[in-house]
Amino acid sequence: MEKIAVTGIGVVSPSGIGKRQFWANIKSGRSFIKGITRFDASKYPSRIAGQIDDLERYSHISERLLKKIDAFSHMALVASEMALQDAGIDIKNEDPNLVGIFLGNALGGWLYAETELRDLYLEGREGVSPYMASAWFPAAPQGQVSIYYGIKGFSKTVVADRASSLMAIGYARKVLSKDKLNLILAGGMEAPVTPYALLCCNTYGALSKNNAHPENAYRPFDKKRDGCVIGEGSGILVMEGIERAKSRGARPSAYISGYGTTCDAVDRINPASDGKELARAIEMALADAKVNKEEIGYISLDGLAVDIWDDSEIRAIKTVFGSRLKDIPLSCPKSMFGNLLGASGALDLIVSLLAMEHNLVPPTINLDEPAANGLSFVRKEAKQHNISKALIISRGRGGINSVLVVEKGET
Amino acid sequence: MDTKAKIKEVLVKLLRVKPEELKDDARLYDSIGVDSTEMVETVIALEKEFKVKLSPKEITKFSTINDIEKNVQSKISV
Repeated sequence: MEKIAVTGIGVVSPSGIGKRQFWANIKSGRSFIKGITRFDASKYPSRIAGQIDDLERYSHISERLLKKIDAFSHMALVASEMALQDAGIDIKNEDPNLVGIFLGNALGGWLYAETELRDLYLEGREGVSPYMASAWFPAAPQGQVSIYYGIKGFSKTVVADRASSLMAIGYARKVLSKDKLNLILAGGMEAPVTPYALLCCNTYGALSKNNAHPENAYRPFDKKRDGCVIGEGSGILVMEGIERAKSRGARPSAYISGYGTTCDAVDRINPASDGKELARAIEMALADAKVNKEEIGYISLDGLAVDIWDDSEIRAIKTVFGSRLKDIPLSCPKSMFGNLLGASGALDLIVSLLAMEHNLVPPTINLDEPAANGLSFVRKEAKQHNISKALIISRGRGGINSVLVVEKGET
Repeated sequence: MDTKAKIKEVLVKLLRVKPEELKDDARLYDSIGVDSTEMVETVIALEKEFKVKLSPKEITKFSTINDIEKNVQSKISV
């Protein structure tokens, strides 16, 4: 399958909105995890998150539309606008039938849904906004972005827990490489900082309880890890065929060249401890990209900061890369802004693309004492390193593995 | 405040449109581009405002402000 160009990046995250601000904060290694202030979370075991409080400052969405949509659609709309702007694309000049949207989400829009459910119980049926039906569900952002830009081509929303958005990007590449579309907006969005969504994440048991020190809480691969911290936001890319991108004078910042996905098939929540299926997904992505494992210069890790997840991930990369693994920089930069669940893969990819562009690997913060020895974790601060090819790993509950191979573009 | 002014006030507040966008004899669909869900919301808001039972079949996105006024008036007088 052919490579696909990435020509635009849009990012809405706790570490910054817009790729310039985002990258400046990421490379500095600064944590954006804080105590939750949106609602009273004092009774929750984990009450910290990567929260976005200034989205309105970057948004051109009308008040009229905002009252009909959930925050996760708003984030996707802002990220889409930024991605298109970055790519230098005016959608009005595109054939709407040949533009698609491929997005990933895990939870749906609970900020909207919770308010309406409260109204249902307090005021009865008539207290519920008629927009509830179209605001909460995981494909709502796809619909809103399509309406906003008049996009009419083949589109899809993927719901596969934390692997959702990387999977959506993998699908987008497949569709583009078959020449079915000219251009795709691909990525994901998640808004889990709501009372009910936070409760569900707490119940799952994978969240850090280090509420006293939010900035030190998310510590993937560290001996003292006690779970991840949730974050909210959206990451969206403009993807298009290489020929088309070049013919319109765009300079692709990267190419997506391989994708692999497998299922562990062992448990409804946990992954297989041997990491064999993740290893197979990595091999699959490398074969798809026609890239030798020796060429991989950076691995972006999923890093849930839960023993079985982190250990099986390390086992998988050891299985694939063997003794060479010690020379490959590894990092999990989401330790700075939180795990965006269904949008985490898109954010990991964006960080990796920016890392390739700037020849700088951002750190995994709080990784003071790695649980696994002999590996090249980039810790504490960013490290200068030329990367021409990188691997991104994203996994979901129930043993979903998805892996992407990306190559440096023209920067 | 007369019925028409109240109807306009409800629409402005509910749909976050500018008062000057509302034309008495233009269909809401043509003047402010309402969708069917906004009309469900509008009918509920008008029912609350005027304390009458209105029909979403009679007040649609193809109604004008004048049509809505007429409809509301007929229910009030009943």
